[in-house]
Amino acid sequence: MSLPHPLLYPLASAAQLAQTPCRADGIPAWLEEDLRAEGCRLIQSAGILLGAPQVVMATAQVLFQRFWYVTSMREFSVSQIAMGALYLASKLEEHIARMRDIINIFDLLLSRLRYSLAHPTAPPESFKYSPMSYYSNEYYTYKDELVIAEMQLLKRLAFNVQVQLPYNTMVNYLNVLGLGRVEGIAQKAWGFLNDALQTPAYAVYPFPTIACAAIHLAAREASVCLPEPPEHEPWWELFDADLEDMEQVCGWVLRLYRRQDEEERELVQNLLLGGRREVRQWLDEVEPKAST
Amino acid sequence: MDVAERENLEAMRRWTKEAKIGEGTFAVVYRGRQVSTGRPVAIKKIKVGQFKDGLDMTAIREVKFLQELKHPNVIELLDVYSNKSNLNLVLEFLDSDLEMIIKDRNHVFKPADIKSWMAMTCRGLEFCHRNWILHRDLKPNNLLLAANGELKIADFGLARDFTDPGSKMTCQVITRWYRPPELFFGARAYGTGVDMWSVGCIFAELMLRVPYMAGETDLEQLKVIFRALGSPTEETWPGHTKLPDYVDLGRVPKPPMQDLFTAASQPALDLLQKFLLYDPLKRISAKDALHHKYLTSLPHPTHPSKLPKSGQPMKARPLPPDELDGKGAAVTGQGATKKRKSSTMGEDGPRKVARKLEFN
Repeated sequence: MSLPHPLLYPLASAAQLAQTPCRADGIPAWLEEDLRAEGCRLIQSAGILLGAPQVVMATAQVLFQRFWYVTSMREFSVSQIAMGALYLASKLEEHIARMRDIINIFDLLLSRLRYSLAHPTAPPESFKYSPMSYYSNEYYTYKDELVIAEMQLLKRLAFNVQVQLPYNTMVNYLNVLGLGRVEGIAQKAWGFLNDALQTPAYAVYPFPTIACAAIHLAAREASVCLPEPPEHEPWWELFDADLEDMEQVCGWVLRLYRRQDEEERELVQNLLLGGRREVRQWLDEVEPKAST
Repeated sequence: MDVAERENLEAMRRWTKEAKIGEGTFAVVYRGRQVSTGRPVAIKKIKVGQFKDGLDMTAIREVKFLQELKHPNVIELLDVYSNKSNLNLVLEFLDSDLEMIIKDRNHVFKPADIKSWMAMTCRGLEFCHRNWILHRDLKPNNLLLAANGELKIADFGLARDFTDPGSKMTCQVITRWYRPPELFFGARAYGTGVDMWSVGCIFAELMLRVPYMAGETDLEQLKVIFRALGSPTEETWPGHTKLPDYVDLGRVPKPPMQDLFTAASQPALDLLQKFLLYDPLKRISAKDALHHKYLTSLPHPTHPSKLPKSGQPMKARPLPPDELDGKGAAVTGQGATKKRKSSTMGEDGPRKVARKLEFN
C-alpha cells in the first residue's frame, strides 16, 4: 500500500551533494568518504557489542550519514556523532541502550584502535583493555559529549528522524524478478545493503534505488542476466530507479572493498581518534590555503 | 553560523512564548503565539537534565510520530526547535479535553454528541493505525478539543510502531482504567486491539459520565473488568490462560449490558461490546468501527461546532443552531480577533483553560 507521501524521510539536496560542509572546510572528498565509512563501522561494531538488533545500527548509520550533509567534521568529532547516532537510534527503534553501556563500548573500541595504531606490528590479542572507573571524569566527559551529540543530531536534522530501510522492499523486488529462490542472490544483495550503510547512499537516494543497486551488484556477481537494453526494457524501470543513480550507489559500495592506502588509512584513523581538534590541526597544517 | 543553526534560529523566531500553563517532570508547557499570524499555540519545552539519560523517550516518540501524522483528528506538531539544551515542540493550542466535558455536570450529552466524539476518535485512530502506529495511552484527557469542537488525539509519548509482528513490547502501558486485559496478563506481542479497548472504555464513559471500569490496583482492575463483562472463557478468548501473567480469578457470569446502559441504542450497545471483546483479534478495528451501524445509522453525529463546550457555564445550548452556520467560530468570540479569521483554530469564547497535560 502506498502512503500519501512516499518520501517521509529527507534526502540530501543537489546543492548539499555538490558542496558538503566538510568540503567547504577543505576536507577532500576521499577523506570525508573514508571518515564517514570509518564512523559507520564504529557504529556497527558498537551495536554488535551492545547486542542491539540490526535495525538500530542501520538507523544510526543513516542518521550519521545525513548529519555530515549539514555539518562539517571540523565542528563535530566523527566518533562523538557516531556514539550519539547509535544512542538516538536505540531510542527511535525502541531498544533503548544504557548510556553507560554505549560509553564503555565506544571507549573499548577507540582504545583498541589507538593501541593498534601505536603498535602496528603487535598481534591484536596483546591489547588489554582497562575499563574506566565508575565515577571517573573520563566517563562524565563522554556522557556530556553523548548528550550534546544526541541533541545536535536532532537539531541539525531538523528533528526529521524518519528512516526508511530498503530490506523488505528488496526482498519483494527479488521475488518479482524471480530471483527470490536463486541460490545466493538474496544473501549477497542483503549484504550489499548492509555495506551500503557505510556510504552516503541512504542519505542521498530513495530506498528503491538502493534496493535496485544491491540487486544489480548481486546479479552481476552471480552472473545472472536480468532484462536490460538493448534487447529488453530495463528491469529497474519497473521500480522507478534510474541506472545512473544505481551506478553511483554501486560505485560507492565497491569503493569500500578497494585496498586502502596504508598512509591514508592511518590518517583516517588518527582523525577519527583525535576528533575535531585533530581535524582542525590537520587542516591548518596540510591545507592552509583551503581553510580561509 | 551554518545552515542548521540558522534554520533553528528562524524556527525559534517564528513563535513567542507567553504564560506558563503547565509543568511536569520533563517538560513545561507555555501558551504561545505564531508571530506572523497571532495564532495561539502550545509550546512544550522539554528539559534536558544533567542527570538524565539525554532526551526523554516520550519526547523522542512525540517528535518522531507527530512529524509523520497529519490528520484533522490528530494534534498537529507545527514546529520543533531547540534553544540551548532545551527541546521545544510547538503544538496546536487546544483549550479543553474530553475529560473536562465529561465531568462538567452542566452538560447533558445527546446520543448524537457522543456519536460525534466517537466518530472523530475513530477517524483519528484509524489514521494512526493505518500508518502502523499504536497510541497506547488513550483516555478522555488525551482527547483534546479545539475551540471549533474538533476532537484531536494528543500525547504520543507512549506511542510506538508495530510493523514488526514478532517484536516484544512492554505491557506497562495505557492508564489502568483504559488498559485491556491482555496487558494485565503480560502479553508482550499485541496490536491495534489495545487502543480499541481504550476507545470502548471511553465510549462507555461518555454514556455513563463516570469511568466505566475503575480499579484501584492492577489486580482489582481485572476483577472490575470481569464483574462488568463476565470472566473470559476459552471460548470468548482462546489461549488467554497461557499468557505469562495469567491469574485465575474465578468465574463471574456476564451481566446484561442493557441494565447499566439503559439509554443506549441497540447499535451503540453492539459496538460497545465489539470494542470490549476479550479476544484482541476479534475486537473491532478502527476502520470497521467507522463502518459500523452505530456510526452509519440515525441520528447523525452532531456537527463539531455544535458540541457541548467546556467552560462557559452552559445555560441552554444555542437552540436554532443553524443561525450560526457559515459564520464559523468567530461568531461567539470576542470582537477584536480579526487577525485570526482563519478556519482551523479560531478560538472562541473568552475562556482560557490551560490545556491539561500530564507527564510521568
